Amino acid sequence: MLKLKGVEEVYYPTSVKEAVDLLRKNKDVAEVVGGGLDISVLPNPRIKYLIFLDKLNLNYVKDAGEKIKIGAMSSITDMINAEPLKDYLHGRVKEILSEIATELLRNQITVGGSLGKREPYSDIVTLLYGLNAKVVLSDGEWDEELGINDLYRENFRKGLKERIIKEVILEKYDTGKFFFSMKRHIRNATDIALLNEAILIEKDGNKIKNAIVAVGARPKPAYLFREATEFLKGKELSKELAEEFGKFVESNVETGTDIRTTAEYRAHIAGVFAKRIILESLEG
Amino acid sequence: MKVKYIINGKEEEYEIHPGEVLLDVLRRNGHTEIKGNCYLGTCGACTVLIDGVPHTSCTILAAKVNGKEITTIKGIGELDSPHPLQQAFVKTGAVQCGFCTPGAILSAYALLKKNPDPTEEDIKKALDGNLCRCTGYVQQIEAVKFAVKLLKEGKNE
Ligand SMILES: Cc1cc2nc3c(=O)[nH]c(=O)nc-3n(C[C@H](O)[C@H](O)[C@H](O)COP(=O)(O)OP(=O)(O)OC[C@H]3O[C@@H](n4cnc5c(N)ncnc54)[C@H](O)[C@@H]3O)c2cc1C
Ligand code: FES
Ligand code: FES
Repeated sequence: MLKLKGVEEVYYPTSVKEAVDLLRKNKDVAEVVGGGLDISVLPNPRIKYLIFLDKLNLNYVKDAGEKIKIGAMSSITDMINAEPLKDYLHGRVKEILSEIATELLRNQITVGGSLGKREPYSDIVTLLYGLNAKVVLSDGEWDEELGINDLYRENFRKGLKERIIKEVILEKYDTGKFFFSMKRHIRNATDIALLNEAILIEKDGNKIKNAIVAVGARPKPAYLFREATEFLKGKELSKELAEEFGKFVESNVETGTDIRTTAEYRAHIAGVFAKRIILESLEG
Repeated sequence: MKVKYIINGKEEEYEIHPGEVLLDVLRRNGHTEIKGNCYLGTCGACTVLIDGVPHTSCTILAAKVNGKEITTIKGIGELDSPHPLQQAFVKTGAVQCGFCTPGAILSAYALLKKNPDPTEEDIKKALDGNLCRCTGYVQQIEAVKFAVKLLKEGKNE
């Protein structure tokens, strides 16, 4: 079954600049390839040129002092096995990554491809929103570091015809002050999420100083749920707060209906996850 | 375009369409031991090892893995000299129609290479992308545990 019938030529650039030059030259009929999962499963018939990023040395997870740097070509498995992420946020990020999709697909899905595609159900996008990750876009001469929200500003797909995602940068959070958790609602172990939710809480003693709440697979793409952040700010962590926050999230989260489930069900799940995450944070 | 692979230890050169997936290229060139089914990355029937790492060959662009080492089920053992995993799958009744078997065994093989003493959880995780419609999964997990025993004892049944 020939999947990408329109492809005429493939390239193996050895630098980001070379890759971007090829992309700029061929714009709408060229595509860079991360793991290639999305490209092969949902082929775009207009694509004539494939630009493989395998020779750019973008497969790394590095401890960079205050930060952790993850190359765009790192697969989910590479991240699970990476030393700098082993105990990151009490190993919770590693645990979440190891529950995504299947071993076979975790070996193929790259962080750059997940961000570049921005599937509405992507767990990686929700996870990186929740971690307040930064994304480095590059044309090979100039790098720009952006928050995920800025990456997804209008015309982001057009922007990715001018530059590529080079790496993702994670803050090293002090686990004495920060708590992170993420939940995914799936119907079986290998399902894509019906809803996913990631919360990062910055604590000052038992008080919430700041928080990030990201919800994805709504079924729209992940978003930063700012009203939830405002709700949490300044509150004392407690069982009562968990209860109240769950109700707040259920009533205010933006969800929709698709063939898989209803907006109401998704909102309910978002509320349950919000409550559970606050309860988990009480345990440390 | 032309691509080269080392398949089960032997160098092979093929003429491919640049938009083809690896599964089609390998089957067309005689490697029918690799099965194809969903073409979506969801069943695992088409599993091969690429530089030792299991992948669904139906979602891997053949041109992307030009130059790589590919292992199919025939690369780990043949009928007259089966690998302990192949013996164990037969012995424990983990094979019925056999369509999923090459993929499941290759996923298990990759697991045992990096973790010779896996827990049941490790086995379940390693095989989570290889669907089986016949045996259920209990026998497959038993098979991997049995293979671990055979490998530890250093003997083939
Ligand atoms: C069966 C199946 C199950 C899945 N299950 C899950 C799941 O449970 N959870 C989850 O989060 N996701 C899941 N995914 C989605 C998967 O995350 C996306 O398909 C993802 O895009 C695959 O990553 P890739 O590296 O293979 O992307 P590719 O197919 O290589 O690329 C996807 C897009 O991103 C662009 N791109 C790739 N790399 C870069 C880069 N460095 N810079 C700029 N643009 C780039 C490409 O041009 C393309 O447009 C699943 C996909 C499939 C097919
Ligand atoms: S045929 Fe490849 S995963 Fe199903
Ligand atoms: S033995 Fe028939 S699908 Fe597994």
